[in-house]
Amino acid sequence: MSFVRIAKSGAFAAVFVFCLSASMLGQAKTAAGNSAVAGAAIPRKPPVVKQLNIAGLRKALTPAGKPLLVNFWATWCDPCREEFPDLVKLDAEYKGKIDFITISLDELSEIARDVPKFLSEMKAEMPAYLLKAEDDDAAITIVSKDFAGALPFTILYDASGKQAYFRQGKVKMETLRAELDKLLSPTTSPANK
Amino acid sequence: MSRNSSAFLAILTLFAFILTPTMGNAADFAVGTTLENFSLPDTSGKMQSFNDLKGKNGAVIVFLSAQCPVVKQYNERISQIAADYQAKGITFIGINSNHTESAEWVKTNAAENYKFPVLIDKGNLFADKLGATVTPEAYYFDAKNTLLYHGAIDNDKSGKAITDSYLRIAFDSALSGKAIEKTRANAFGCSIKRVEK
Repeated sequence: MSFVRIAKSGAFAAVFVFCLSASMLGQAKTAAGNSAVAGAAIPRKPPVVKQLNIAGLRKALTPAGKPLLVNFWATWCDPCREEFPDLVKLDAEYKGKIDFITISLDELSEIARDVPKFLSEMKAEMPAYLLKAEDDDAAITIVSKDFAGALPFTILYDASGKQAYFRQGKVKMETLRAELDKLLSPTTSPANK
Repeated sequence: MSRNSSAFLAILTLFAFILTPTMGNAADFAVGTTLENFSLPDTSGKMQSFNDLKGKNGAVIVFLSAQCPVVKQYNERISQIAADYQAKGITFIGINSNHTESAEWVKTNAAENYKFPVLIDKGNLFADKLGATVTPEAYYFDAKNTLLYHGAIDNDKSGKAITDSYLRIAFDSALSGKAIEKTRANAFGCSIKRVEK
């Protein structure tokens, strides 16, 4: 092999390696960029669960100019856990139109453990609370006359704080959606016709 | 409105009434109401009547569950209260109305945890009648079957910080001939798993 041929082959190999490296680097950057956009590569921050007492519960159940949906649940409650993914979807659907909060009845010791862990697994973005009432009976009475303490319990208040709908047990999503839509379109409500 | 349309409306109303599912509602069976005698099968399938199980000073019907973690937290306390007041003529009757719990499961759980009978309320008709929604949930009747107290056993499901033993206080008041001060108290618990109607 002549020196010229060796030099040509070497130059070709160098160009090939350079192009390949540049291409791989570009792909890696694009992938990283996409990940950043999708949020997949960034670990989710565990949700902060705030503690509520009776006074805090009263405040939390006061609508702030929008209908307020509240779900009472606990990590030890099977039907609560079962319905949670649907509630998370509902939150995404109605974001901005209503306020939606969740109130856990777990032990206070779970406020930084199982409760945020479950909410994180569910990718729940609703403001989350844990109720540690001085008196459960008083707390239940504040929520609704239709509530006897059985979980799950979901209640919808209109913007004025009046109870519009409640469900003892697992929510039927189509019913809840219908109730929300009815509340968000008052002119189509039979009461206003 | 014609006579035909009136008749049609009446029939429709009647059907709507019949078809409306009976939902548990805490306000259905108020304190002071008298319970008619009833019979339900126990965990061995034998029919048991309320009046036969009732003690000389009444009985407590307590809605239970084999799987509810809150009931599990209460089991020891329920057994202790039942033992303490059995001697004073108040008996305990457990009711399981959860359609999600098999008869075999309820039987095993009852044998492991309670010395009083547990009756099976298939189709949750009895829970509907009383408006029971949560486990555990207690109904205390006097010897004449009048409801004296309805609700929670005490005010702390963990049992670590009880400041109000609602059920014991109700028993003691009734046994000493005093009026029961708190006749109704709610507490957080599991929902009774009803059949879809």
